[in-house]
Amino acid sequence: MSALTFTLKSQPKFTLDMSPLIPDGLQSLTLEKIKKLKLVYGKETVRVETLFTVKGDDKNTIIINKSCDKLICVGKEMSVGSITVKGNVGDFLGQSMKNGLITVVGNAGSWAGNGMSGGRINVEGNVADYTGAGLPGDAFGMTNGLINITGNAGDRVGDRMRRGIIIVRGKSGNFCGSRIHAGTIIVLDKVGKHPGEGMRRGTIILAKRPAHISATFKSCGNLKMQFLRLLFTQLSNMDNEFMFFSKYGPEAHRFSGDLARNGKGEILILQTMNKR
Amino acid sequence: MNINGVEIVDTFAEAFPMKATRIIITAMNLKWAYQAANAIRGFASSVIACGIEADIERELKPTETPDGRPGISVMIFAMSVKDLEKHVPTRVGQSVMTTATTACFSGLDSEQKVSMGKSLRFFGDGFQISKVINGKRFWRIPVMHGEFICEETTGVTKAIGGGNFLVLAKTARQGLAACEKAVDEIQKIPGVITAFPGGVVGSGSKVGSKYDFLTASTNEAYCPTLKGQVKSELSDDIGSVLEIVIDGLDEESINQAMREGIKAACSFGSAKGICSISAGNYGGNLGPHLFHLRKLLK
Repeated sequence: MSALTFTLKSQPKFTLDMSPLIPDGLQSLTLEKIKKLKLVYGKETVRVETLFTVKGDDKNTIIINKSCDKLICVGKEMSVGSITVKGNVGDFLGQSMKNGLITVVGNAGSWAGNGMSGGRINVEGNVADYTGAGLPGDAFGMTNGLINITGNAGDRVGDRMRRGIIIVRGKSGNFCGSRIHAGTIIVLDKVGKHPGEGMRRGTIILAKRPAHISATFKSCGNLKMQFLRLLFTQLSNMDNEFMFFSKYGPEAHRFSGDLARNGKGEILILQTMNKR
Repeated sequence: MNINGVEIVDTFAEAFPMKATRIIITAMNLKWAYQAANAIRGFASSVIACGIEADIERELKPTETPDGRPGISVMIFAMSVKDLEKHVPTRVGQSVMTTATTACFSGLDSEQKVSMGKSLRFFGDGFQISKVINGKRFWRIPVMHGEFICEETTGVTKAIGGGNFLVLAKTARQGLAACEKAVDEIQKIPGVITAFPGGVVGSGSKVGSKYDFLTASTNEAYCPTLKGQVKSELSDDIGSVLEIVIDGLDEESINQAMREGIKAACSFGSAKGICSISAGNYGGNLGPHLFHLRKLLK
């Protein structure tokens, strides 16, 4: 069986809602029926075959070739299988996804992982703002799952997230982890201003000291955090891709906060490497 | 049948169904992991009065533990899930959480679970933090040594308790030497424990008593001092009987443990005072698992 592959014939002019093209929705359909599925394209609806060349028969494994940032809602509400996007992708990647795996070999737009409750998103490039965040009016951002960003992330990573893990291996913008209710955000390069602004609980782990921490965070000093040892060991065991976590030790400078909002969250700034 | 001049009595050990869990205790180093493990297995020799039976299964390398520190796996057996639910959180709370630098994790995956951190988190008095990593929930409880990390639940599985054999020797010293070697061999086998002190029972019991309030009492048929007074199973030359009781996760592991244990005990031979190997049974009325000594040694 070969992966079900959608290859864009040409770059679309308008945003294209890709939410129907998830493994859950395609399982019972033949290739012909898949080609005739309708997608919302700008203000219109078009058939899949109008924009894509469709090949393959493994509906559990979807590949989107020659993708671009006009493709939005890729993997929306998926609960099984995998989607691999070759190229950039637009906003709302993996919105409300419940399980499965989305891999983007390129950059992703804003609101990646918005409302996700399980599964994993890998972005091998950069992401824009509001990764794992909740839309205005939503009670929470992501409520579980893992978002792994190899590149940089924009502002407000994990805004109002409730649970789950976001790993940013590059830089993160301003207000990283703003208003988070719980969950874990790890940033391995520089982070912008006001990390953890308004956080209630949850953990923000930073490999580099931020230029600015709000006055509403209180230093607890340098501590050996057994939790970090557990987290890094578990992440290293989870996937070979995360083996690099084994070089991080448990020692961190802990700031508790945001004291303006209950103060039960924490920012942990990693102090040492290779000292386990 | 005899091994090294030691007679293997044609009888069987009778075991019964139990429920078991395995927990992993880690600490800054093995010394402190042992402190916690020894505390949790203290007063856990028999369900008759302790509620649970527990013992150290083996040491774990840092690569085998969830947090990458040295650890110890401890197995806990009880008659029901309800008993485990009652005893596991209290023992982990009083024995592991109170030991400096420790953390406690589940060592068994199963659908049925009993709470661990789920109950202990309240010790954090509102400052406890929950973390879900890789589908498992862990509790971070702030304590004076730093943080006590405990997995929310631990898995429960069906198990077997009461696999046993008796070492009949001329003297207690000779019997104990053979038993020590047997226990050493049994401890190499995964999935089994010998919960009694040192793995050896010095006062094996029978079911029931002349007293209504007792569920178990001394096994007079194997008491050397009662020879001539009761219907004894002991010949004149036997001066001491010691029992090794084995709890395990399945029949095969108990079979293997009994086989290796008996062979080790018999290696001392009749020349060193080991007369025979027998087993405790209650005519097949106690439990469905029968371990025939001669059959398992073939």
